[in-house]
Amino acid sequence: MIEFLDAKCMIGRRLQYRENAPKTNEDFLELMDRCNISHAITFHSVAKEEAISLGNQLLLDETKDNKRFLRQWCLPIKFHPAEFISEMKQNDVTSVRMFPDTFWYVLENNPTSGIMSILGECRIPVFMDADELKADAVYQLCTKYHENTFILTHPDYGNSSKYYSLMEDCGNLFLGTSNFLDHNGIKYFSKKFGADRLVFESGLPIGSACAAVSLVCYADISVEEKQLIASENMKRLLSEVNL
Amino acid sequence: MNWKKHVLEGNPFNDYFIFDVHGHIGKHKRIELLDSDAENLVASMDRLGVDKIAVSSFLSFTGDWVAGNQITEQAAKRFPGRVLGYASPDPFDEECDLSPYFESDRGFCGIKIHGLEQGGTPMNDRRYFPAYELANRLELPVLFHAWLPHEVAQVVDVARQFPRAIIIMGHAGLTAFASKEEAISACKKYDNVYLDTAISETYDGSLEYIVSKVGADRILYGSDFGTFECTQTLGKLALSKLTDTEKEKILGINARNLFKL
Repeated sequence: MIEFLDAKCMIGRRLQYRENAPKTNEDFLELMDRCNISHAITFHSVAKEEAISLGNQLLLDETKDNKRFLRQWCLPIKFHPAEFISEMKQNDVTSVRMFPDTFWYVLENNPTSGIMSILGECRIPVFMDADELKADAVYQLCTKYHENTFILTHPDYGNSSKYYSLMEDCGNLFLGTSNFLDHNGIKYFSKKFGADRLVFESGLPIGSACAAVSLVCYADISVEEKQLIASENMKRLLSEVNL
Repeated sequence: MNWKKHVLEGNPFNDYFIFDVHGHIGKHKRIELLDSDAENLVASMDRLGVDKIAVSSFLSFTGDWVAGNQITEQAAKRFPGRVLGYASPDPFDEECDLSPYFESDRGFCGIKIHGLEQGGTPMNDRRYFPAYELANRLELPVLFHAWLPHEVAQVVDVARQFPRAIIIMGHAGLTAFASKEEAISACKKYDNVYLDTAISETYDGSLEYIVSKVGADRILYGSDFGTFECTQTLGKLALSKLTDTEKEKILGINARNLFKL
């Protein structure tokens, strides 16, 4: 069976009501078991939807009892880069996520100016949702900070080929699969760029882990390529982290 | 059946009858689709173990209904028994008459309505009534794009007025909580209303919730295949907490009965 490492999972209590949706960490773990997801790179909903620093703290509290949640912090708007990295190390946080649109970052200054170089040196992957920034901004980030690894999660549905030019221009850019839905999209992407540029993501709890793993399991590619996408690519990126 | 092992090994669903009631073929005006022709669709169905699919061409409801329905007909004739067609009307063309598509064996099984793409015409508008009267008379399935609450409400109005037509709410009104509840209410109120599973993004547990409210007999497997990869809805259903019997009904048994195959 294909084993998965989830590149995008968001825990935490949310105001948005969805009948019978996964809510607690136990719900998430049950789904992970059902879908053969060994670990999930996890940030906290409060960090995205309310207050970044508070969400980052809640993440530490709520994941302290389970190592299957791999901690991810969201980049605050104002912070001291060296201190931030030091705290990441102390708290076993191995990746970061940023929300340039939601929190109105000025990409050329804070938070990217000082922190990006350090993240690059430490090989800490930087995640961002595709709807958080325009293609131009992704291009600028990837080319300016070519030592960094960027992972574009939740690409726009139905049209994976729109990312082809970015992928061609930016060798340090990886694409998540949670919304990678067009017919044979994974097959053609893998043919063009290799399966090592895709990483599996469930998008839990808004997305469906069951649907996300099925997209990879039934893609028209080899088992080896499926396993790369499912977990090996992300494992390799995390293994490079040097904190 | 060990569904987890089956899906996670990527095994085809050859042991089950699978009828996808919600597919599309051809080019889309906004989305650059890959492999959305009938040949590639059927090749994927073979690989995955999908037995039948009911499709409409995008063109049939976005632009030229005559040319669009012809594309659908050609696909159905190219793959008889595997690909079935939905015919789409043009609400602005007074000459539009769908009845010839159903007078001989041209491969059509029902009617497709997509109000949003059809000039934003509300789906309970009188301009659609000739198509609904035909469906009512022949007891045909009518597949609706029922995404948002107001769309679900329009479809409910059609179900009330045309009780012998088989009303399929595409996407089951799943994108917003309110539309999902309205779709569930419609199923409870009208015997001719069914929901399909096609949805680009929805959460785990939603399918189990709907089945708990309306029963598995009222849910049909639909994927939006052609636009989207059908494996996400197939896998989501297979890995759900539903029973084997419920899964089998949704995968194809319900549709086989409804479409009188």
